[in-house]
Amino acid sequence: MGAESRSSVSQPGRQYRKIAVVVLGVTFVVAAGLYHLARLYVLNEAERNIQAVLLTHKGLHRYIQEVMHPVFYSLRAEGMVSEKFYAPEIFSSTFIVRNQHKAYNEERTAAGLEEIYYKMAALNPRNPVNKADALEEKLIRRFNDNKEIKDYREVVRINGKDYLYVALPFLVNQERCMKCHGDREDAPLGLQALYPGLGGFGEKVGDIRAIESIRAPMEQQYYLLYIVFGSSFAGLLVLAGLLFFNARLREMVRTRTHELEQEVVERRRAEEEVRQVNEELENRVEERTAQIAAANKELDAFAYSVSHDLRAPLRGIDGFSLALLEDYGERLDEKAKDYLGRVRAGCLRMGELIDDMLQLSRLSRGEIHREEVDLSTMAGEIAEELRRGAPQRRVAFEITPGIRVLGDAILLRAVLDNLLGNAWKFTAKTEEARITFGRQEEGGKDLLFVRDNGAGFDMAYAGKLFGAFQRLHSLQEFAGTGIGLATVQRIIHRHGGTIRAEGEVGHGATFYFSV
Amino acid sequence: MILLVEDNPDDEALTLRALKKNNILNEVVVARDGVEALDFLCGTGAHAGRDLARMPEVILLDINLPRINGLEVLEKIRANERTRLLPVVILTTSNEEQDKLKSYTLGANSFIRKPVDFQQFSEAIRHLGIYWLLLNQSPPVIRS
Repeated sequence: MGAESRSSVSQPGRQYRKIAVVVLGVTFVVAAGLYHLARLYVLNEAERNIQAVLLTHKGLHRYIQEVMHPVFYSLRAEGMVSEKFYAPEIFSSTFIVRNQHKAYNEERTAAGLEEIYYKMAALNPRNPVNKADALEEKLIRRFNDNKEIKDYREVVRINGKDYLYVALPFLVNQERCMKCHGDREDAPLGLQALYPGLGGFGEKVGDIRAIESIRAPMEQQYYLLYIVFGSSFAGLLVLAGLLFFNARLREMVRTRTHELEQEVVERRRAEEEVRQVNEELENRVEERTAQIAAANKELDAFAYSVSHDLRAPLRGIDGFSLALLEDYGERLDEKAKDYLGRVRAGCLRMGELIDDMLQLSRLSRGEIHREEVDLSTMAGEIAEELRRGAPQRRVAFEITPGIRVLGDAILLRAVLDNLLGNAWKFTAKTEEARITFGRQEEGGKDLLFVRDNGAGFDMAYAGKLFGAFQRLHSLQEFAGTGIGLATVQRIIHRHGGTIRAEGEVGHGATFYFSV
Repeated sequence: MILLVEDNPDDEALTLRALKKNNILNEVVVARDGVEALDFLCGTGAHAGRDLARMPEVILLDINLPRINGLEVLEKIRANERTRLLPVVILTTSNEEQDKLKSYTLGANSFIRKPVDFQQFSEAIRHLGIYWLLLNQSPPVIRS
């Protein structure tokens, strides 16, 4: 118990440390996930802003070139505008878009939004405003060196803020561009007058003359806030969940522990009860055994006394009845002689009853000496004895050879004596009497049987067959004391076997038994 | 001479009758218990001064006797120099294994169970008389 309580004291600290680790872990993982998502979102947002600006510019370029220029050329053709007239403010889409973007940025600033940097950067622009800076120059050269590269993008950090920077090839020199951008001497005179110097001249067909260079801010300050909030919230949620489950778990453990303790107490009590009951039973068994031993001893004494004391008077009655008949026979009439005869018959019968009863009692006591017994041979011997006792009878014995069992030879002899003797007795009035001793299987068990085709019995009385002094026939029909089957049953039971009888009046009986 | 040791007067009368009916006319001395039987054999008590040269040809001994029972009597007969060779036939109602075992162990010459049927009993007495009184040669009398 001591060791258990010590370990449970140190448990909460370790548990909270574990919870803290789990909560921090979850918080960091969620934060990392949110950061990643937010960055993707911000990047995407900047990309869309850039795309929107570029598409707007493209639209404006097209409007100037496809709508404004034809109008201007038709006006010039009609002579409404001089051939020499050129004004970039209403003719150059680059100029117009640049100034439109400038105005756009002013509007953004007025609306509280950060400017979006936009430049049509060229290596050799007419207007120095469009002169490429170092990065742009490098990019223009790279695009020119490898025409496969269609864009360039990079997240750049300026004054601690992230921006998405995108560069795209913008103007590729065509043959028709050469009129104004080829050699200066070939250009229209108005253009030459407007732009002194070599800016915008001397280009070659196929070269990328300019790129669009654009940079949009990545609005991430709010997202950082979301990340902090989101991950903290997740961490707290996990913490609360863990604490809740921990508490519940502890409660469950406490309840279960209590139940188990209760069960242990209950079980101990039950064990104690069982022990007491066992003790009581043992005592009772001992007591009973002693009682049985005493009863057996008494029974022995009783049997002994019966054997001596009950038979002696019988002999007297029989002896003196005979003496009367012998000595005074001539003075007695027939009726008196008949009465004396009945007195003697009664004595003989009582003598038999006493003898059978003693046998039953004797067979019920004493040790069982188990050995292998050849019942078939034994049955053959008994059949032979029965035949010798009444040679005039014709009875067919069918004995299955080789039936061997483990049992007490003397007791099993008594069983067969009784069963075969009964069969012999009850077939006395049967023509073609047949007595069978055999073996058959029933429900996986070997059953032995003795069958005859004699007087049989009514199955209604089957239960009474094995009771001591129970008889189903009158003495006039068949002699007997009614002890034989009781003896048989007792012997079979002492061998741990069972016995039952089947029969039908006039059609014989079969006794099934196991040893 | 026959020494009949029998406490039951009925059995005594029946035995005497059976002997007579079978023409066994030897003298029969009856002792009604074990003490009396031993007194007769040793010439003590009621039989003090008896001529001990005359000993019974056979002793018919019941087991269930008052005072000293038949088995004890047998034991004493066999222990006594004068009587130890006398033929003793146990004539009893019992057919207990134990009684047979003890009787033979103590030196009984024969063990006969009295049947209830007097005719059978009479038959047994007849055989007994013929065997022990006619056929059997008595042991020599031992003089002290």
